[in-house]
Amino acid sequence: MGGAAEAATATIRQPSTTPTKSQWRLTLLRFRRDRWSVAAACILAVILLISFFGGAIASAALGHNGTDLYPYAANINRKPVGPLTWVPDTHVAYGYGEDGDLAPAPKNAPRTLFIFGADGILGHDEFLRVLDGGKASLEIGLGAVIVALLIGLPFGAIAGFFGGVTDWLVSQFTETIMAFPLIFFLVFASVKLDQYLTPIGWGQVFPRGVFAEALLIGVFTSFYPTRLVRAALIPLRHAEFVDAARMVGASGWRILRKHLLPYLVPTLIIWGAIATATNILLEVGLSFVGAGVQPETPTWGSLLSTTWGTIYQPQSYNPQNVTVWQTVFPTAFILITVVSLNQLAEGIRRATDPGGGR
Amino acid sequence: MKRFLTFMLRRTLRGLFTIWAIVTITFFVFEAIPNEPASYIYPLAQHLNDYQIKHAHHLLGTDKPLLTQYGDYLWHLLQGDFGKQWEGALLIQNTSLQQQPIAPQLEQWLPVTLSIVLGGAVLVVLLSVPLGAIAGRRIGSMSDRTISLIALVGICTHPMVIGLILRGIFGDHLHWAPSGTYCPITGPGGPSSSIPLGPGQSVPGSAGGCGGVVDWASHLALPWVTFALLYLALYTRMVRSSVAETLPEDYVRTARAKGAGELRVMTRHVLPNASLRVLTMVGMEIGTAIGVCAYIETSYGMDGLGRNALFTMIGQFGLDLPKILAVVTVITLIVVVGNLVVDALYAVVDPRVRFATQETRTKSLAGGVI
Repeated sequence: MGGAAEAATATIRQPSTTPTKSQWRLTLLRFRRDRWSVAAACILAVILLISFFGGAIASAALGHNGTDLYPYAANINRKPVGPLTWVPDTHVAYGYGEDGDLAPAPKNAPRTLFIFGADGILGHDEFLRVLDGGKASLEIGLGAVIVALLIGLPFGAIAGFFGGVTDWLVSQFTETIMAFPLIFFLVFASVKLDQYLTPIGWGQVFPRGVFAEALLIGVFTSFYPTRLVRAALIPLRHAEFVDAARMVGASGWRILRKHLLPYLVPTLIIWGAIATATNILLEVGLSFVGAGVQPETPTWGSLLSTTWGTIYQPQSYNPQNVTVWQTVFPTAFILITVVSLNQLAEGIRRATDPGGGR
Repeated sequence: MKRFLTFMLRRTLRGLFTIWAIVTITFFVFEAIPNEPASYIYPLAQHLNDYQIKHAHHLLGTDKPLLTQYGDYLWHLLQGDFGKQWEGALLIQNTSLQQQPIAPQLEQWLPVTLSIVLGGAVLVVLLSVPLGAIAGRRIGSMSDRTISLIALVGICTHPMVIGLILRGIFGDHLHWAPSGTYCPITGPGGPSSSIPLGPGQSVPGSAGGCGGVVDWASHLALPWVTFALLYLALYTRMVRSSVAETLPEDYVRTARAKGAGELRVMTRHVLPNASLRVLTMVGMEIGTAIGVCAYIETSYGMDGLGRNALFTMIGQFGLDLPKILAVVTVITLIVVVGNLVVDALYAVVDPRVRFATQETRTKSLAGGVI
């Protein structure tokens, strides 16, 4: 008698002790338990913030900006100053010596702080260049992902869900074109099309040339999400929940939008995180070909190519006129960003896996 | 065996189709881009008059209908003739052209790139399998995190930077390895194909005397390390996750229960599974590897296919169509042949493939790196 009552209360109480949680909430809970991924997400947030707003704040605080030229930030051998140097705050030389070299700055000349040192013979502030370069590099990385998704998602969805001739065409085309290294097409396209695309900046949203590069990288990497979406949808064509939706009269488009798109979101977010990282690296590669954003706009890639040259004219490391910091700082920022994006993708993958496993 | 041959035949046909499709797409896409080949014939002319343009087109054969040109190109290609490049064409007595054939250049570039890719791939496998196995045995451990982080440093530093750093330290400074030239494996031959590395930085000369397996390998040691550092991250991760997934399997437990040692369990039961993924990945990355070679060849001053393919794509006067087509065809050919080899190995390692009727492998996410 008492046992039955207990059982009855148990069945009644059970729902209230474990309130139902939505899938997204469960995912979030699982993600929050993974401290490495949470750390990666925080680091990424910081990188995004300092790249997009840090440049302006730091220029205001330091009193100069990334495009200012400081003749005293590089020595006679054109070697830029190292980190944490107080550089004479002047855009013109105080005079020239008999041999044509810069006259030394007066002792009491006003000075300004270069936190990461200078970036090369022109004497820009490396710290501000790295921050501004981060803005350009991240815009390229994220922008290209968005472009690739805008192309890949519809094509992949149509091919994967509706099948038929479209599917055959899309899959054959992507597989054939992907047999060829895309970097060569990409280099070709950016050399030939940059004159038309570079001026597009959408006001001050994108620095000069950034939109063009994001667009080209996006177009040429859109085959990956196309195949990814297609491969994810093929097994779902006749899944029970799809058939059920069809039976109550939902149209194909509605099923795609309402039932299948949410299913694709985790896959695409994970792809997006990895692709952002690879796009940033691709941008570096394009800078070394001289086909990327033109040098007046700093990117992490163009900062590296001021030290190492381009494929036409590679420069071996010469301690006389370059510092290691010119390589260390951009590389460190790339590394932190790519590692964090990787960890984030891994964390999202684990969190969205209903099994919660590895 | 019969199944295997059918499988390989199907893959070969598919590969031929790929080559044909890429050549066709390239041909018509590049034909559609406005381009004036006459500027190759009259490089000094400020303005080209109608006669010059007509004459140049006639000499180059570009006045024929497009489909005839396309047919001619395919016909010559089938006979192994890549044609002659437009760049550097010399007009002789205004009636004929002296042009440089492309095939000999390709013959010179190809061994460089293939040596870097093949040797580098071997090094990647040799390094990533043990590292991935160590990392995968205890995911999340300190050794796992360390290995993953080091591997990621390799992928985040561009191969050209790594190449120039390694060359500077081990080649020019410590003199541990020769830097900057390619030595043919076949033995002492003609002058080694080296290119100057920018102004004032002459390449240590090795006037024709170098060649043979030892010279070849020692000259390529640094490029191989550069190549391996880039790909280490991808392959270590791949082996790592495969090992981590395989370890809890029943058959691994069975092997342990039968008293197999840890090393035997790993090499005989766990790692063969990972080798499938590594193979898949190798097949997919052949193309990008050639792109990567462009940078590695540049940093070591070697005159290889990757670098020259980039130069051809960038173009000096315009589009050198025959050269672009030749480069595209050869690269596609390498990718297709490489994939056939991978397919054959795959079918040997994994019998299930031979029964599979549909292509189930998909491209990697990371295929677009660099």
